[in-house]
Amino acid sequence: MSRTDLTALSPLLVVALAAVAVLLLISVRRNHRATATLTLAGLVLGLVSISWAATVTPHQVAPLLIADGYALFYSALVLAAAVVVCLLSFDYLEQRGEQREEFYVLLLLATLGGLVLVGASHFVTLFLGLEILSVAIYVMVAYARSSPLAAETGIKYLVLAGASSAFLVFGMALVYAQTGTLEFRPLVAQLSAIEGSGLALPGMALMLVGVGFKLAVVPFHMWTPEVYQGAPAPVTAFVATVSKGAMFALLLRFFAALGPGEARPLLVVLGLVAMASILAGNLLALLEQNIKRLLAFSSIAHLGYVLVAFLASSAFGDEAVTFYLVAYFVSTLAAFGVVTVLSDNEREAERIEDYRGLFWRRPLLATLMTGALLSLAGIPLTTGFVGKFAVVAAGVEASLWLPVSVLALGSAIGLYYYLRLVVVMLSSLDAGAATESAADSGRTPADPGQTPAWPRAARVGGGAALALGLLALLLLGLGLYPGPLMDVIESSVSPLR
Amino acid sequence: MTLILLIALPLGGGFLAWMLGRFHAQAARWVSLAALGAGLVLALNLWAEQVGGEVLPNDGSWLVEFSRAWIPQLGISFHLALDGLSLLMIALTFLVGILAVGCSWHEITTRVGFFHFNLMWVLAGVVGVFLSMDLFLFYFFWELMLVPMYFLIAIWGHERRIPAAVKFFIFTQASGLLMLLAIVGLAFVHQRHSGELSFDYFDLLGTPLGGVTGMLLMLGFFFAFAVKLPVVPLHTWLPDAHTEAPTAGSLVLAALLLKTGAYGLIRFVVPLFPDAALAFTPVAMTLGVVGILYGAVLAFAQTDLKRLVAYTSVSHLGFVLLGVFAWNELALQGVVMQMICHGLSTGALFVLVGALYERTHTRDLTRLSGLWAVAPKMGAMGVFFAMASLGLPGLGNFIAEILVLVGAYSVNVALTVLATFGLVAATIYSVRLVSRAFHGANDGAWKFPDLSAREMVVLGVMVAGLVWLGLYPQPVLDAAAPALSQLLPVMPR
Amino acid sequence: MELGAYLAVSAVLFVLGMAMAAARRSLIYVLMGLELILNAANINLVAFARFKPEIGLDGQIGAIFVIILAAAEAAIGLAIVLNVYSRFGTIRPDDIDELRQ
Repeated sequence: MSRTDLTALSPLLVVALAAVAVLLLISVRRNHRATATLTLAGLVLGLVSISWAATVTPHQVAPLLIADGYALFYSALVLAAAVVVCLLSFDYLEQRGEQREEFYVLLLLATLGGLVLVGASHFVTLFLGLEILSVAIYVMVAYARSSPLAAETGIKYLVLAGASSAFLVFGMALVYAQTGTLEFRPLVAQLSAIEGSGLALPGMALMLVGVGFKLAVVPFHMWTPEVYQGAPAPVTAFVATVSKGAMFALLLRFFAALGPGEARPLLVVLGLVAMASILAGNLLALLEQNIKRLLAFSSIAHLGYVLVAFLASSAFGDEAVTFYLVAYFVSTLAAFGVVTVLSDNEREAERIEDYRGLFWRRPLLATLMTGALLSLAGIPLTTGFVGKFAVVAAGVEASLWLPVSVLALGSAIGLYYYLRLVVVMLSSLDAGAATESAADSGRTPADPGQTPAWPRAARVGGGAALALGLLALLLLGLGLYPGPLMDVIESSVSPLR
Repeated sequence: MTLILLIALPLGGGFLAWMLGRFHAQAARWVSLAALGAGLVLALNLWAEQVGGEVLPNDGSWLVEFSRAWIPQLGISFHLALDGLSLLMIALTFLVGILAVGCSWHEITTRVGFFHFNLMWVLAGVVGVFLSMDLFLFYFFWELMLVPMYFLIAIWGHERRIPAAVKFFIFTQASGLLMLLAIVGLAFVHQRHSGELSFDYFDLLGTPLGGVTGMLLMLGFFFAFAVKLPVVPLHTWLPDAHTEAPTAGSLVLAALLLKTGAYGLIRFVVPLFPDAALAFTPVAMTLGVVGILYGAVLAFAQTDLKRLVAYTSVSHLGFVLLGVFAWNELALQGVVMQMICHGLSTGALFVLVGALYERTHTRDLTRLSGLWAVAPKMGAMGVFFAMASLGLPGLGNFIAEILVLVGAYSVNVALTVLATFGLVAATIYSVRLVSRAFHGANDGAWKFPDLSAREMVVLGVMVAGLVWLGLYPQPVLDAAAPALSQLLPVMPR
Repeated sequence: MELGAYLAVSAVLFVLGMAMAAARRSLIYVLMGLELILNAANINLVAFARFKPEIGLDGQIGAIFVIILAAAEAAIGLAIVLNVYSRFGTIRPDDIDELRQ
């Protein structure tokens, strides 16, 4: 391994070392605060080392990993999301009496998996990254052992993610049979060289099944609501963002390398998947009373939106995908951040009723939540608006009229449930609870005076406050002044095509 | 900078009102009033400059312009500009805004700060819509005004407010998304021709468009504006939203939000797609006439006062659609007049109904009668605005509708004749409204205080405006004339 | 032996694994089913690498990675299954259903 190799891999190495360091620290002395601080330091150092790695880009490390602008951009995104999750987790875990320190090892490992995934240029690293990510997430999902749902959620996620990896590997083997290589670039060259696709097409289809599970797009979306609901809120935030984002980054890299001829049949399928996801996600969210499940359904729809830009298969489409993912990361982390902060050690703030009148009890949190929801809905002033605009522009540029129309329809439906939530937060605590919600919340109408004393006025810790403040800034800043980010994205996706 | 200030005043004032309103409700009202007053002064000052002959050197109709790169990667700039048409609309916006604050002085007692925040942000969005000369920016403001309007209806509205708010939002949002598609489509067509991606209005003007493409893109814009205007098959959100909104909400909806649709037709639909608009003219004018008659008939059938007034809006704005697509000088002048006069007269009717509801807690026309004896001032105002609404000569609405009809006559005689029946119908429903509510015996034994001084001021301003527009409309027509003469040649008849 | 024979074994293993996972008799079976699918893939990878000498060792090395990662997955999986058993007293997937309520 040359010096350049090490430089190019420095973010990965830093995070891996941090994981080991945290393990050692825990074995010496259990201290939640110290562990969290060390983790945070590792992640931030990882972020800093990206600028160091950027000095040698593009650089191929063996045939396995590539450190180009694209990989580094997504590495930064993954690391930044991990930083936020880490900050949110501290207060969340602090309230709970269980063993908390190991969580950070898992967080670092999952982040490492994400980093491997976004830099993968070989099927082996793809699988390696995916498994590091998934295996860590299995445990994170089931981490709150006192929670009745933890084990169940863990096993559900395990079975589905395991199945998806199994499909992925089997698909890889078939593609390998046809092309004789597991490396992306030669593989793509082989695919276009051979007449008739033979085993490659079923192989790729199987791989797409595996990827589809990870991205939670229709028809592989059924696990999302349950896992989102059962996992601790910060973990849900991580699953919703890092795991999907890293997978999408990889998908984009692979398809961008693929010639239009080979990609076409798969793109047709993905087009259907995108439209089905948009419609199903938005429609299923309409009646949902659990906010974590609601966000799960909405994330299904959002991945559908990203797929529309992805279908454009153009440089502009790649930029739109990337921008939208950034917007999705920011909005989703903000939304789950608020859920996390409002949760206490009894249960999580996941019922819509918990948010009734939040505006008048916790104005700042409610404003941030509103911002996040409006951003997810794509309303101006927020980054989600610019993201949606970019996606629509990419779709229209590629004349994808049908998917774009479905997107427009879907986001019109989506508004309904985002706004419903906002209205709940705005409605007054006393008046609304008695009349409107008695029927659907299951509370007995006999005691309308029992206004929800929940969630209690929990204090927002410094770390979480920092994370939420940062997200609020990004939510607004990227919505009003997206130019600089677009410049960065434009230059970082340029190596793809 | 003036243009930035015009938008920043309501934005900042709204925010300040919210913050102050948490401590002191009265402060929120005064802050809003001050910000809107300052905006009105700015607008009137611009008007004075226009009368003084100060225009931008390069062409005759634009008074002020402001442009900065915003998202250069996508060819988006923060481009504002103001001509006589925008100027009139902005003056109207601030005036109506002040009246809206005035008429909710006592009506809104809960969450006063947040109410004014939303009200001011709606106004900011409306001002932005009237000033934007970049289609992305235009869409930005177009969407921006919806969310606070939704809150206005959903939080401070009447009994069935949530469904009404949702219906309003979904209708406007869905049509807005169609417009977004059309905007993006237009920009890419332009890029294909010129090699440059731009969302700037002036760049996109004159983009050569094939028949079908042009028609589809035009329809995308038309849908969004038609929902707002509203045009008849797309109007169903309007009676609900108007009925359930608080008085200030109804006032802003009727006087301003509907006008953004009309403005969009004049500023964007016809100039950007002249060929498609020309081909679409018969359909659009027919829809206009259908709206005039349908709205009038339904207004006649209503017993809920607010619904009645809402349907008269549908009828009156049919004239706008008719006039826009007639696209000649007289018709467009009529449209501009109608936009302002309808804003004042219908707005005033909503204020009156709101005042009545505040006192009687009903808007049911079958239960109200003989109110003149109880509240003579209210009765007098009611008669005045009903007369304005039916187009009594001497008041602004008369001039507006006559101008539209004369303009439309040269384009399509049959439709114009049909539209004239709208005036007759307007007389019937207006007279019915007055005779039911104010004349006759006071069967319900109503007893309540007459209009207060504050309400008299609010309504008095509107009375003065309508009389002025009816007797001496020349300043308004002069203000709009350069802008209209600039626009007229795009779709030659 | 022919390549076809290996592929046949692999295909059979894949189908068996699918069937086991889909039957949902017990969580252990499900995990075993997933292992079978992974091993079916492994057989493919190794067989192709062996019978197409011109294409290098990618497949064999890939198979080693898969084996390692499958072991890790199984270890975690079994730990979670134990957890489930201690809470629910059963490892039949259909009986573990508190989430839907």
